[in-house]
Amino acid sequence: MEGNVILLLLIYWRPPKVIPSRASLKNHPMLVFVTVGSTRFDALVKAAISESVLSTLRDFGYNHLILQRGNSVIESEEFNGESCTIQRHGVDIETWRFKSSIQEECEQADLVISHAGSGTILDVLRLGKPLIVVPNPTLLDNHQEELASALHTLGHLKATSIQDLASTISSFEPRDLVPFPPFDGSKFSKLVDEEMGFI
Amino acid sequence: TCSVAIFLGSGGHTSEALKLASALDFSRYSPRTYIVSEGDTLSAQKAHALEHIKAAEDDHFIRPQYTLSTVPRARRVHQSLFSTPPNAVKSLLACVYLVSICPLVKKGAFRQPFADLLIINGPGTCAILCAAILLNRLIGLPSPRVIYVESFARVKSLSLSGKLLYHFADRFVVQWPDLVQPGGREDYRGCLV
Repeated sequence: MEGNVILLLLIYWRPPKVIPSRASLKNHPMLVFVTVGSTRFDALVKAAISESVLSTLRDFGYNHLILQRGNSVIESEEFNGESCTIQRHGVDIETWRFKSSIQEECEQADLVISHAGSGTILDVLRLGKPLIVVPNPTLLDNHQEELASALHTLGHLKATSIQDLASTISSFEPRDLVPFPPFDGSKFSKLVDEEMGFI
Repeated sequence: TCSVAIFLGSGGHTSEALKLASALDFSRYSPRTYIVSEGDTLSAQKAHALEHIKAAEDDHFIRPQYTLSTVPRARRVHQSLFSTPPNAVKSLLACVYLVSICPLVKKGAFRQPFADLLIINGPGTCAILCAAILLNRLIGLPSPRVIYVESFARVKSLSLSGKLLYHFADRFVVQWPDLVQPGGREDYRGCLV
């Protein structure tokens, strides 16, 4: 009887799989880029520099955060002036308001956390970067919610709320995301040519 | 060729509008006019950037044929709808100037509209631009064809501009299938941006 049990164990037992942490998969410190777009999203900025989010990011190997804050207000005294760099909860934080293009930051980032503006979403998805979006509920109709949900359902990104941001970061699996199709200008080009009588 | 005006409504609207513009054959759709809201330097910069990229792609470098026009905003982001009307009137006057007055006084452009085609995708100020175009049509002045492209952000319901301009636009384009109503005039071809 015991012999059979031992035999079964030998055949079927496998040692537990060691899942490497995201940081050990990469041999460089990981960068997270947080962007609120061209308007104002105080709640996301506040969450991004909060202890719970920063410590979660640090635990998952992100120790550099770049925060593009637009017209948002940061109430903390540590952050003063248009742009600054400080360290908080083990994460190096660099923040500024606007840049003519955030392409470089998105390209360098290992993770992007963004308001759910369609332009930013499309740019980041087309760069193939892992994306977590937080809809900005203060905009007219709360319209960001619809796009965030639709793309979340299609598996292209993870949509979350301010309250759930830290837990979303910790359960985030970039490998499970579905790639977004590349830009196809011919669709619009054809439509316009039809309307203007070229076709 | 066909002259085209593209309204850049700032933020996501600008990004999408420029993406749509980038899909066009610039040698066919020329000259181009980018209409930006007062104070929106970011959109202006992005328009310049697109034009330079497109010119660089072209083998024989022809000087980009485009201009930038500015109109006052009809409604600021976060502004209450109740307080919008006075801004809207000021904006309308500027749009009438752009759409009706300028083409009339332009030399060698008798009875030409300010553009053959206008591409818009919101927000509120583009509805004011359309009001000016409607005035043109009502009094028999030449006016552009209008293509309205609802934002990629609108999945389940139209934006306010979309609702206002649904019947006005010569072509009303949506980017998500849920927006197509049975018997409606929506043109759906998937994501265009």
